[in-house]
Amino acid sequence: MDKRESMWEYYLRKGMSRRSFLKGCVALTSIMGLSTDMVSKVVEAAEKKPLPVVVWIHGHECTGCDESFIRSGAPLASDLVLNEIALEYDHLLSAACGAPFEAHLEETIQKYKGQYILAVEGAVCTKDNGVYCMSGGHTFTHLLKHAASNALAIIAYGSCAAYGGIQAAKPNPTGSSGIGSFVGRSPIINVPGCPPIPEVMTGVIMHLALFNKVPSLDHDGRPKQFYGNRIHDTCYRRPFFDAGMFAEHFDDAGAKAGWCLYKLGCRGPETYNSCGNLRWFQGMSYPIQSGAPCIGCSSAHFWDEDPLTARMPDYGPFGNVDKIGAVAAAVTAVGVMAHGAMSIVQKNQRDKIEAKKHGEQVNK
Amino acid sequence: MKEVTRKIYYLFSPWLRIFHWIMVVCILTLFVTGLLITNPWFIFAVDPTYSGMMVDNIRNIHFLAAYIFSASFILRIYGFIVNPGDRLFSHVWKGYFYRNVVDVMLHYMFLKHEHASYLRNPLARCSYTFLYVLVFIEMLTGFAIYYMTNINGIGGILFGWVIPLLGGEYMAHLIHHYVAWGILLFAFGHVYMVIRAEFMEGESEVSSMFAGSKILAHEPRDAGHLDGTLK
Ligand code: SF4
Ligand code: SF4
Repeated sequence: MDKRESMWEYYLRKGMSRRSFLKGCVALTSIMGLSTDMVSKVVEAAEKKPLPVVVWIHGHECTGCDESFIRSGAPLASDLVLNEIALEYDHLLSAACGAPFEAHLEETIQKYKGQYILAVEGAVCTKDNGVYCMSGGHTFTHLLKHAASNALAIIAYGSCAAYGGIQAAKPNPTGSSGIGSFVGRSPIINVPGCPPIPEVMTGVIMHLALFNKVPSLDHDGRPKQFYGNRIHDTCYRRPFFDAGMFAEHFDDAGAKAGWCLYKLGCRGPETYNSCGNLRWFQGMSYPIQSGAPCIGCSSAHFWDEDPLTARMPDYGPFGNVDKIGAVAAAVTAVGVMAHGAMSIVQKNQRDKIEAKKHGEQVNK
Repeated sequence: MKEVTRKIYYLFSPWLRIFHWIMVVCILTLFVTGLLITNPWFIFAVDPTYSGMMVDNIRNIHFLAAYIFSASFILRIYGFIVNPGDRLFSHVWKGYFYRNVVDVMLHYMFLKHEHASYLRNPLARCSYTFLYVLVFIEMLTGFAIYYMTNINGIGGILFGWVIPLLGGEYMAHLIHHYVAWGILLFAFGHVYMVIRAEFMEGESEVSSMFAGSKILAHEPRDAGHLDGTLK
């Protein structure tokens, strides 16, 4: 593809109607979390802007993020891959393989230097020069460095790319971590989640593609429009939390009645994601809706925060914090009382000595 | 009857005293509501309509107490500015401070019969610094957790950096909780020590936090601190 076509040109070439093009633009606008008055801007961008070149590479991971990605309903993942971005290289979705495929990657990087979007899935493992994760005959660290240094922007898809994910969980034998500190350059857009919500994945890449601009990010490099809300604050079970109605076991009446899962370890109060408002698979459901407490899959280090079905006070590296606190308080109370008793004894002795001294002085 | 002459040492401004008692009420409230938020062990309702929003209310009380407590530091700072008695710094850079600390410690360990009298006991001062550190940690972690609902707001900007520093919000909760217990343990020790000083050592440690002054029969070793004669 020498002259890169725009989305509209692509639609024209495929003989698709203006109507379907506009429909696609409206869907994109809403999925990017933009207000409807931005539609005209989106249409404009889709008419003029050439399809963005995307290179998608995979490190240490399970490719679960791809599984999520291909289930995106709006826009359809197939639409996105085929007519909204120019996906030049993808370990998983590409039909090609072997030496020609790797050569194509090199070609793409050279041809679109500083113009392509790099999507990274999976952690980078750095221990022993990165030998634990190889790709195309090189270590993944090599590939990542090379691809990242020439990219326009980098998207870290999934908790693995953002924070290291499951391979970075203790004891982390391969020295895995998120790509941010390794790549050491911006902009990196963190799209955490294990996996991220499909529409979030497509929404972020389309934002980049259409506006050539990184969406506004929070302190952790996550797009605010998708990671600005706590699960807890968007959870439909929140009224039960506020009312103090909790499921105590997975099989009790409260669980059956759909009460709050706080006491079953729900990490909703500390987790930032769009599960509560977007939900999964075209709004079908999300974990809490199906009765499973949130495990905080879009938070850094969530694998190490096990057991995932217990919150404080039970949860914690030293055991039940309230029990520890109560024991410490009891010990302190006993100590204080003992000290008090001994102080009284000591004071009596002191008074006796002083009285004696005083008496001696009087006698003199 | 033996005549005792007593001298009045004006130490604590009303601002500091009001701050102190606000702190007492707030810490107790924060501790109890905090435990309940962590583990709402009580079944508050079986019907949301008539629940009275119990957990929500407990959280709101917790937040309100946190705000009042934080705001009350204005009183502490004002007292610090206007009244020399409120700012008796420990002379940690001077040797005698440590000799005094050892003196007091030996007495508390029953190795000495008594310690010299101080307007502000050097060991106690150390423990108050420690308390301020604990409170500061509670504020940082607490507000960081609280303001994460709106990271664009001023609170999010002021406290947002705490969370990644600790490696996650759940860690912030954990630290917040452990330090809360630490403050409670401090309170145990503190209440005991001041009562002991008041009634066994004649040091007006309790009464001065009501009246502002210490009325002492003896001359405290750091009395010169107050009028600036002890440098
Ligand atoms: S189920 Fe979880 S996210 Fe929902 S209200 Fe309860 S604690 Fe919050
Ligand atoms: S509810 Fe929590 S654990 Fe489940 S997908 Fe959403 S963020 Fe991840």
